[in-house]
This record gives sequence, structure tokens and C-alpha cells, in this order.
Amino acid sequence: MGRDLPARVITVVLMAVAYVTCEVAAHADGRPGAFGLAFGGLLLTAAVMLAVFVRRPVHPKQRLPWKWTLCLGLGFILPLACEPFVRQLLGEGFPLELQVVNALRTLGLLLAGLAAWPRLRRLSAVVSLFLALFASAMGDQPAIPYLLMAFAVCGGLWLILDHRAGTGEPVAVRGEVVKRVKLRLPYREALVFAVLAMAAVAVVIAGPKRVMLTLGELVPTSGGTGDTDPFARYGVGNGPEEVAGDNAKTAGMVESDKVIEDNKDALVDVVSDLYGPPHKPRKELERLVAGGLAEVIQNHGKLPDNRKPSRDFDTSRKGPGDSRKPTSSSAARGRYEVEGRTPLHIRMITYIRYLAEERRWEQGRKPGSRLLEHTGGEWMEVRGMQPGNWYADDDHHRLKVADATDNVVPTPPNLARVRIQRVDKAEYYDWEYEGVLSLSGRKKTPPGVVVNTDCHTLDPGVLPAESFPTVGFNPAYVDVPESLTIDLTRIADKWAGHLPRGWSQVHAVLAKLRAEYSLDRQARAPEHHSHPVLWFLEESHRGPDYLFASAATLLLRSLGYPARFCLGYYAHPDKYDPATQHTPVSDDDLHLWPEVLLRDGQWLVVEPTPGYEVLPALKPWTERLADTLAFLGEWASRNAVWLSAAAALLGLTVVFRRRLADAIVTQTWRLFPGRTWRVQALRAMKLLERRAVLAGQRRQAGETLTEWVGRLPNSDAALSQLRSLAEWAAYAPSSPASDPPAVAVCQQAVRCWPYRRFRGGSA
Amino acid sequence: MTAFPDVPASSVATLSVLRSALNVALRGKPEVIERVLACLLARGHVLLEDRPGLGKTTLAKALAAAVGGVFSRVQCTPDLLPGDITGFSVFNQKTREFEFQPGPVFADVLLADEINRTTPRTQSALLEAMAERQVTVDNVRHKLHDGFFVIATQNPIDHHGTYPLPEAQLDRFAMKLSIGYPDKQNERDMLSAAVGKPDGRDELPRQAVMPAVLVGLQEQVAAVAVASAVQDYLIDLATAVRNHPKVPHGLSPRGLLTWQRVAQAWAFLAGRPFVTPDDVKLVAQPVLCVRFGPNVPTDVIPSVLSTVPVPVYPR
Repeated sequence: MGRDLPARVITVVLMAVAYVTCEVAAHADGRPGAFGLAFGGLLLTAAVMLAVFVRRPVHPKQRLPWKWTLCLGLGFILPLACEPFVRQLLGEGFPLELQVVNALRTLGLLLAGLAAWPRLRRLSAVVSLFLALFASAMGDQPAIPYLLMAFAVCGGLWLILDHRAGTGEPVAVRGEVVKRVKLRLPYREALVFAVLAMAAVAVVIAGPKRVMLTLGELVPTSGGTGDTDPFARYGVGNGPEEVAGDNAKTAGMVESDKVIEDNKDALVDVVSDLYGPPHKPRKELERLVAGGLAEVIQNHGKLPDNRKPSRDFDTSRKGPGDSRKPTSSSAARGRYEVEGRTPLHIRMITYIRYLAEERRWEQGRKPGSRLLEHTGGEWMEVRGMQPGNWYADDDHHRLKVADATDNVVPTPPNLARVRIQRVDKAEYYDWEYEGVLSLSGRKKTPPGVVVNTDCHTLDPGVLPAESFPTVGFNPAYVDVPESLTIDLTRIADKWAGHLPRGWSQVHAVLAKLRAEYSLDRQARAPEHHSHPVLWFLEESHRGPDYLFASAATLLLRSLGYPARFCLGYYAHPDKYDPATQHTPVSDDDLHLWPEVLLRDGQWLVVEPTPGYEVLPALKPWTERLADTLAFLGEWASRNAVWLSAAAALLGLTVVFRRRLADAIVTQTWRLFPGRTWRVQALRAMKLLERRAVLAGQRRQAGETLTEWVGRLPNSDAALSQLRSLAEWAAYAPSSPASDPPAVAVCQQAVRCWPYRRFRGGSA
Repeated sequence: MTAFPDVPASSVATLSVLRSALNVALRGKPEVIERVLACLLARGHVLLEDRPGLGKTTLAKALAAAVGGVFSRVQCTPDLLPGDITGFSVFNQKTREFEFQPGPVFADVLLADEINRTTPRTQSALLEAMAERQVTVDNVRHKLHDGFFVIATQNPIDHHGTYPLPEAQLDRFAMKLSIGYPDKQNERDMLSAAVGKPDGRDELPRQAVMPAVLVGLQEQVAAVAVASAVQDYLIDLATAVRNHPKVPHGLSPRGLLTWQRVAQAWAFLAGRPFVTPDDVKLVAQPVLCVRFGPNVPTDVIPSVLSTVPVPVYPR
């Protein structure tokens, strides 16, 4: 092992610290990705094994064996090449510069593993230093300073141990000389650099805009556009559209000038615009569904009690008009941007009791028992009853507020924890309804706020019968108006009465509605009809989603299931934008649905409306891997012809790589044989040497041409003649007096000594 | 192509005669003969080191006879004085003046037999003669013959009563050679040739080259071209030797000059008017080992030669 073993180990440690620092910095929430850590762990293990078991080179300047060179090259290239598949597998990706950093991390760990070579050891330290600096400049996570401190300590140790390892090395290698370097100006390099620089300037000045955007994408975290790489981060905190929030990738500021109350965007107008106004608005309830009391007060002053708006939902509406006004004054393309799996239901208002006479749903009340606790980092965890054991893995979403109508914090159902940057105290939040979070004391959720959430996911099919409570809940959740009880009970019994209690009954109701009723947003109950829900169930068999939701809620209540009626937004999978990897949610996505209470206090979203789905349970990684493989297989089958051609071409290139290289160098020699006899002789000799290299007969560094030619099997006169001519060309002041023309000698030797002859074959 | 004159045919013929004469005198050792000739043409001096009875003195005497001119022999003993080699001044009673009596160093070929048996003081008497081809006696400088050539012999195994040659003395030699045992065929020929000779003495070869011709050959050798790439190669080799951890004393600039000159001679003997790296490598062993002394491992020179890149293509 030698005295450099401590230096090797500290090199690996140094690189590991830099790796973790980058991993932390790359994730905005400060929680390293499991995939990244697992991959890093594997690499680290490999690096440790290499560092311990790879033999020290005979001397420090010994060339790295080709297999290690290949490993280093693959270590850099593979992370870049695998990025598309990782994106497909995990649904997450990195911008280009982070991909390069990832590749550098892999390369650095491999370099650390090969720290037995002093030059690689020092190169690894340089790479780790770069990564640490990059992470420190990029990340502001709380863990970063501690990791940098650890890096500094390891770096100091590395300097000591590397110096100690270096003191044992001979200053000059045995038998090796320090080559004399001719000091000359780098004309050639300067010329190449100048040409490249001018080309770059020309492209920037005269090239198409897309080229400039692509160049800007190289440093996305400093202001990339996101146009060419959907994973590129738009300038954090400094983008021109940061505040406007119409780009799904913008993030950052909570406080901004755009926090302007705008009564035109109130939820009441949105709902009325989408579903039409109520048939008979009561005078005292001009707004049946409002965006909040505060806006009205701000715009109209304090209202008398009889003019206070209500958030109740009227189920007797005139239907949407023909001339719908623009839904938003903002430049944003939607109210929210959702990053993560869809479909997703985002609650705004929940309703508890159906008032049959007034044909409206009465809004729910503020809950008193649900807690939100700060659990470390910036995450707030939802506390309450113990979650049931029927949940699959938690799913992560990022919801960006673009143009909110009120102070609701958009969250998915079954919320487990939430994070809004540094808004990390319980008193900053309020529960508007059960399962509906809002910002305490605010009138609107400011644009630009990014809500990170983890929510429970489940497959309702696995729910046991006892997961639906029969007692211990607010009786209003099973309340059915007396005027509707008989009819609804009859229908519910007809549809699901024969089934055992549990999900099968719920599913039967939902399936019936989805199968035999059709969605029609224009449909409206006749003004004289006293019960729109019954009109929908028994007469029209078609209607808008609020009738589906109302009918389902009341039917489930008739069967004894605690249920409620919800208004919110539906993040539709069809609206997914692959360019930004976000799903915009606009006013057109306003939706109503029923929810069923579970024993653990969570509300299960169910979907009776055709065309709407519920977020499925998060699949384990094995299933996702299988899906990815299936995707790859499908992709491969779609491009089978091209793939086969490419594979065949690649295979042929690999198999005949030496012959290919020989053909290239031979053709190059034929094109440029040289003008003078001296150049001709040397180029022909060099061509033969290259052929010999391809055939494994390389002339060694300390070997003369005569020794090399003498060593070759079946060396003949043609080769000896060329060797003699090359020696004259290389060392003599003039040409030989009596030899044949140089061109003839060269051509004869090149013809007599093809590549295969160097491999032992015949000419 | 521009023609470049090869080695003249007359020179080749002369060398062939000289080579043949020496090969007859010392049977079965053509490689040793070739190196001795290279040393002679390079105007260097040769140190023959080998066991007793292997033909060191025979080779020296044959070479002296073949190149003609004045031949002197000094049997070095511990009581030999510097004056016994360089000469000394004697007071002439008749002329009432001191007259210089030249020593054996005033010859074309000087055989210093068993040179390590004389004292360092006497060994040092040869320093000026070998390096500058002159001696200074009583503040008077006496020039030696143009073709002055020293062949010294020493026995490597019997160290009793010997004085190892100092580094400065060794650096004056161009090369050190060992002869080694002849093979069976050559020993049989040698035995056959001795039959019928009552005194057992070898016949010395006839003079093969006139001193003036030899000087002409030496001038032609000095004119052999050495490309700058080859000179760079020589410098690289010298640097590698100097930096080698097992070599206590590196190659001196005089040693490097000698190496180049011997390589020129080797190229000349091959009939080539320019030096190649092959010439440099082939003469490296005898040129370097005389300067390394006995404590340097034998694998140093091959390892240096195998690692320093040979220049072929212009950089």
C-alpha cells in the first residue's frame, strides 16, 4: 500500500463530502434525493475499493492503463447520457449545468478511487474543490455551511497527507528525463482560439434567437430561459417575469408588488362565469359564492350584515352565458402551476349541509382540532389522528401560485406535510375548512409562492369496510334533507343496497353515475323544479359536475357514509405541458366533487363525474422501473429500424475499428504524402508505425527504428529500405546518393506492409 | 535529392585492412575489435579490464603494430615514478646543460600494462598527456604525437597492492572494454597456431595504416554529421544518467563530448556519414561504464536507454 494510503483515503473522503454537498445544494428543499444518494453510495463504495486495492504505479508519472482511462471517460459521459432515462423514471431532472456537475461528481469519485496516481489524486482534489465552491454559490440550505466546514477540515488534512505522500517520491524518475521544452508562442492555439471566439461572436450577433437562448441555457441557474431545456431553472429571484408568475419555473419571492387585491378575480365571479348565476339570488346574498369577505370590505367599505356575502353554492343555476369575460387580468396562464403527478384535486371550499328548499350547499366551518406543527427544516407537518394503514407511499408535489383568488394554500388531498420557504410557524397558517389550508391574516396568497407538499396516496380498492366510520363524526355529514330522503334512499338502495358496506357500495354509486349519466355543463334544471338533484337523477340524466357531485354526496349519505361536497380546482393531466413539466390550472378547471370521510379523519376524494379521475396511489419503484422499461421497450420497438441500423453500425465499427482506423490513416497519407523526399519518408514511416500500433506492435519509447524493424517478424527489404531512408530523412543533413526515389521506396513499403501483416499475416 | 558523400572507399579499405589484422591477432572477438577501432578513430583512449591471460596485452601490441609509428610499453609497478613515464631532465657534463630525456609517453601508441598497480601519483602523470596530448616537465611543455593513443590494462580481480584509478583519470578514457573468453572454435584455432612455435610468441601484424592516414581518418570521423535531434537525444540520455538515483556521479560534459565522438566513429565504421540514435545506443555501454565505477549496477544503462524516447519525427 505504501505511505500514500492515508492520502488516498482522505482524497476519497474529501470527494465524498463534496458529493454530498452538491447533492444537498441541488435540491431546493435541502433533502438529497434517494436516487442520487444511492448512486453516490455505490460510487463511493467503488471508489473506496479502488483506493485501497489499486496498486501504486511503479513511478508517479507512469501512464494510466487504458482500462482506467476508459472508466474515467465513461464515468463522465454516462451521467449525461442517462439523464433522459432518469427523467422518465423519476419524473425529475436537472438543468444542463447540474448535469455537468453530476458528471463531474462521478468523475471526481473515480479519480479519488485512482488516487494511487498522484496526478489523479490532485486532480480529484481540484474537482472536489470546484464542486464545493459550486455548491456554496448555488445552495442556501442550512446544511451547506456545515458540509463546507467538513470539507475545509478534510481539505487541510488532504494537503498535509498529500505532502507527506509526495516527500517519499523521487524527484526524478529512474531513467526518465525532463524534456527540453522549446519556448515558443502558441500561434496555432491562438489561431484556433481566435477562430472559435469569432465564430461564437458571429453566432451571438447574427445567429437566430434560438441559438442565443440555447447558449443562455448553458448557465440556467444564472438566468436560463427554460425554452430549450425544460429542467433549466429560471433565474432565481431575478427573472423579469418572476413576480408576474406566469412561468411555471419561476420561484422565490413571497412579498411582491403584485399582491394587489382585485375583486374581479374573486372566486364568486369565477364560479358564476363558469356555471352561470343562480336562478333566484336572494337580495341579501348577492354573491352566493365569494372570494372572501375581505375583498368586499376593501372595495365597498363595511357592509351591513344583510349584505355580507356567503360562500354557499347554489345548485339551481341558469347555466353559463355565451359571452364569458376573460377569467384573469394577469399575464399568468393559470391560477396555479402543478409540478408532480396529476390528476390532482385542489380544495378551495367544502360544504357541509344541503339546504333543499334553498337549493344550495351550505359552506363548512373552520375546524378546531387539526394541527400543523413545525417538524424541522422548513416543513410543517399535519398532526391529527393516526393515519390508517391503507396508504401507499407519499407523493410529492410543488404547486406554484400564479394568480390566486384568495388566501387558500393550494394543497393536494390527504396532506401529510407542507413547506412554503421560510413560512415555518404554525401561526402563519389557518385551517379554512377541514383539509383546506390558508395563510393566516392574508387576503390573497401572493403570486410566486411555491408550495411543496407531501400527501398520502391510496388505492380505494384496498380500503377495508371498517375504514368508513359509522359513528364519531359530525352528524351533518350524513344529513339528507327530508324532502329528498325517500327518493335518494330508494335510488341508493337500488344501486348499491345489495352490496356489503365499504368501498364496493361507494364504488357502485360512483360507477353508476359515471356510466349512465353524462356531463353537460350547459344543462340546467328548470326554474320551477324544486329539486335539481332529483331532476338530474331521474329525468335529465345529464348535467354539470356540481349536480354529479351533489347527487353522489347525497346518495352516499343516504347509504350512511359521511360525505361532503367540495369546490376546488382540478389539475387535468391533459393540460400537462412537457416543455415546463408543469400542469397549469386555470379557471376552466374549476370543479366540484364529493368526498367521503375515512376513519382516520382524512377525506377520500371520489369522482362521480365522467372524464375526471382521482390521483392514483404512488407505485413502488419496482413498478415504476417496470413502467420505464416498458416505455423503453416501446420506444425501441417504434424505432427498431434505426436502432438496429445504429447498433449494426456500432458493432461493425467496434469489430473493424482497427481496419477502419488503418483505412483513415492510409487515406490521409495518400492525400498528403508530402512534398519533399524527407517529409515523404517520414510520413510513410509514421504510417507504418501507426499500423503497427493498431496491430499491437508499437515501437517502444526507447526503441530505435532499426531495433523496431529488426524485432518485427518477417521483416523484409522493403521495410529496411524505408527504415534506412527514414533515418536519412531524420538525421542526415542531405539525402542518400544512390538510393531509389523516395516515393517509390515509400509506396513499396506501404504496399508490402499492410495492417494485417503487422498482425502476423502475409502481405 | 541532394547527394551527400558517403564514407570514401579508400577509407573503407584502410579500415578493412586494419580490422582484419586485429581480428587475426585476437581471434573471435570482432565486437571488441570494432569498439577499439571506434575508440582509436575518435581519438579516445581505451581501458581494457579483464582477467589475466585473455589477450589484453596481445590486442594492445597488435594494435600498436598495425597502426605503426612509435610503440611504447610501461609495466606499471608500485615503484614507478611519474618521470619514468613522462621523461626527465639530465645534466649533460659535456654541454653543461640539462637535457630532456623523453619517456615512453612520447609514442604513437602507449601500452600501460596493469595501470592500477602504480601509485595515484604516477597515474596522474598521464592526465595531461591523455587529455591534452602534451606533458610539462620542469616547466617546459612537450607536445606528444598527433595520434597519441593510450591502451591501459587492469586486472579486476586481484586487488592486493593496487590503486583504483581516480574519477578524473577514468574520465580521460573514452571507453572501458572487456574481452572475455574465446569460444571453442577460436580456442582450437589458437592452439593449432601455437604448434611449432618454440617461443610461443604471437606474430605481430604488419603495419596496416600510416600515422598520417590515421590522422586523416580521425579528421573524417570528426566531420561525421550529428543532427540536432540526435544531440538532443544525447543530452536527454546524459540528463537521465545524472538524475538517476543509483548513479553517484553523473556524466561530465567531457564525457558527453566523448560519447558523441565515439558515436561518430561508430557511424563512420558502419560507412554512414551521419550519426543515428543506434550509434549512440551501441556505444553507450563502454563509454558510460568507464565513468560509473564499480558500484553502479549493470542494469542502469539498459534501463536508461530503454526509457528515454528516441527522436524520429520532428516535434
